[in-house]
Amino acid sequence: MAERETTLTKVGVGQIVLEPAAPILAPAEQVRHLYRLSDPALSELELDELLDELLERIREALNVDTAAILLLDTETDELVARAAKGIEEEVEQGVRVPLGHGFAGRIAAGRIAIFMPEVGKADIHNPILRQKGIRSMLGVPLIVESELIGVLHVGSLTPRQFGQRELAVLQLAAARAAPGIERARLFSALEHEHRMAMLLQRSLLPRALPEVVGVKVAARYLPARDEVGGDWYDVVELPRGLIGLAIGDVVGHGVRAAALMGQLRTALHAYAEEGHGPSLTLELVDRFVQSMGEYAMATASYAIFDPETGRLRIATAGHPPPVIISPRGARVVDVAPGAPLGGFPYGTCPEQEVSLETDEIVVLYTDGLVERRGVPLTESIEKLVVALTGAGTAERACQVAVSDLVPEEGLADDVAIVAMQSTRIPEALELELPADPSVLSGTRRLLRRWLRERGADEPLVSELALAANEACANAIEHAYAPGPASFQLNARVEHKNGSDHATVVIRVADNGQWRAPRGENRGRGLTIIETAVDDFDVNTSSEGTEVVMRRRLEAR
Amino acid sequence: MNLADLHINRHDGVVVVRVLGEIDMSNASDLRGAIIEATPNDALGLVLDLAAVDYIDSAGIHLLYRLGDNLRSRGQTLRVVIPPNSPASDTLRLAGVRRHVDVVDELEEGVRAVAAGTAGGS
Repeated sequence: MAERETTLTKVGVGQIVLEPAAPILAPAEQVRHLYRLSDPALSELELDELLDELLERIREALNVDTAAILLLDTETDELVARAAKGIEEEVEQGVRVPLGHGFAGRIAAGRIAIFMPEVGKADIHNPILRQKGIRSMLGVPLIVESELIGVLHVGSLTPRQFGQRELAVLQLAAARAAPGIERARLFSALEHEHRMAMLLQRSLLPRALPEVVGVKVAARYLPARDEVGGDWYDVVELPRGLIGLAIGDVVGHGVRAAALMGQLRTALHAYAEEGHGPSLTLELVDRFVQSMGEYAMATASYAIFDPETGRLRIATAGHPPPVIISPRGARVVDVAPGAPLGGFPYGTCPEQEVSLETDEIVVLYTDGLVERRGVPLTESIEKLVVALTGAGTAERACQVAVSDLVPEEGLADDVAIVAMQSTRIPEALELELPADPSVLSGTRRLLRRWLRERGADEPLVSELALAANEACANAIEHAYAPGPASFQLNARVEHKNGSDHATVVIRVADNGQWRAPRGENRGRGLTIIETAVDDFDVNTSSEGTEVVMRRRLEAR
Repeated sequence: MNLADLHINRHDGVVVVRVLGEIDMSNASDLRGAIIEATPNDALGLVLDLAAVDYIDSAGIHLLYRLGDNLRSRGQTLRVVIPPNSPASDTLRLAGVRRHVDVVDELEEGVRAVAAGTAGGS
């Protein structure tokens, strides 16, 4: 192998620009190793290991003390230390060298190889090099498809001449390493964006679905094959025992759509909590979208369910219609669609009220579930209706919707599904409730529904609910156990042997010590219990206090 | 949505507060604060309309008592609108306190009574 003379050109003090060396044959092992860098499937971590190994080999091959790779940060036009041998501090300290400055900066800016025989005299940006006592340096640019991506340089602790042979090895290493580095970086950047978007999306969806007796909720979120989208669902526990069910779909994909989804979900949730009905809630979200000052469009559907009465109020904004599954079959809810959110100034969303009977399931979904190229939407929705027919639970409804409508190769669009069933209340109620006054309202509703299902008439329903409420309020007031306190409410119907009489028995038990009713207020509570039931007992033990109330189911 | 909402009006010197929703241990004390707040010192008194209340328990009765005390100490009159057979009427009956609360059947009647400065019957 013939060595050529190095062409040296003086550039500034102590810097010599080297003309590119002719290809030389490097030792076979080095070459084999360098070829590994072309692996298109290199991950960022594997790249780290490879760069580490590469730098080590270069150090051995050229008999140098240090070797380092700096990569260009295009945001700041700086070179950032990425891997180093002998001067690991460069990476640890995240050294940044501005393009055009110092040794590496000049190599990058001029896309030239530079040999620096005497570091001491030269313009060096990175103080670590001097601190380490590096005397001579040689560096080459890393270039991929005529784009500069970084710099590879080596250094010696003793003054040294780097010639054509060293330059050739370094250039070969640079040529092999550059595409691998670039691919791994791109891959990792994409991965990173995808991961961030997924993380963002997950963090924006509700973590846990509320557990409410008499209602069972299930939901799914399926990301699209390649991209994150802007679909969301939400379940809102509203005051007065109502349940809000929301679903939506922001037009577009990627991080922006996911972020926008988060804003819309929050806005809808907040308006819902204010207690607005479905129409007004969607209209307020529409105004919110209009006020954002950037183009944004979304479709959404919002429903409010009253478990006590079975009433379901629904409004939709440009969103596919909900499906109701009953034991007799499934049907599309005929709700007039309103304008999409952000679509038209002063868009309105008409509201529809339907009744959701016990065992029936309402299913809200986004268009990704039913939109298929070349298939009319009504046909896909009909397919969904067929799939959902016979689904006996909210969870099952989600399962069959996914298994029957989501193609095996994955989805082009993301999908959200939320299903809610009005479930039968057990014949014997057994509730463990947090000792917090906010549970009273929902508990009354549940008890009233339970009493009606047991055949109680309205006066009995309201009087017993009032009596049970007073006992619960007592238990909440007494709860002073350390940690989150709770109390129990049990209700059942008792049939005495040999008698047609049915008696409602309600038991409220806490872990607190019984306290004599304090003040007029508690006294009045006891008076209410006394008047409302046929008989009641207060049992106190070291375990706590229980109030047991009985009243004949038949009118007195 | 709150458990209860307040609608506040003034008819000359009479403040009318209409409660919609439910009154229990979770909101009674906050409601009393808001109602007192809505009744300025120079008002003749307050008509508290419970006709649109779906539910009221002993905490609500306690509210009525305390409210009555608060207003009396300011020389103001209270009338509580509770139509017969309303949920509030049932609760008062079950607690046996109906005669201790200045109840009227209708809003007009309450406004007239407060405007006339008629002292409560309790």
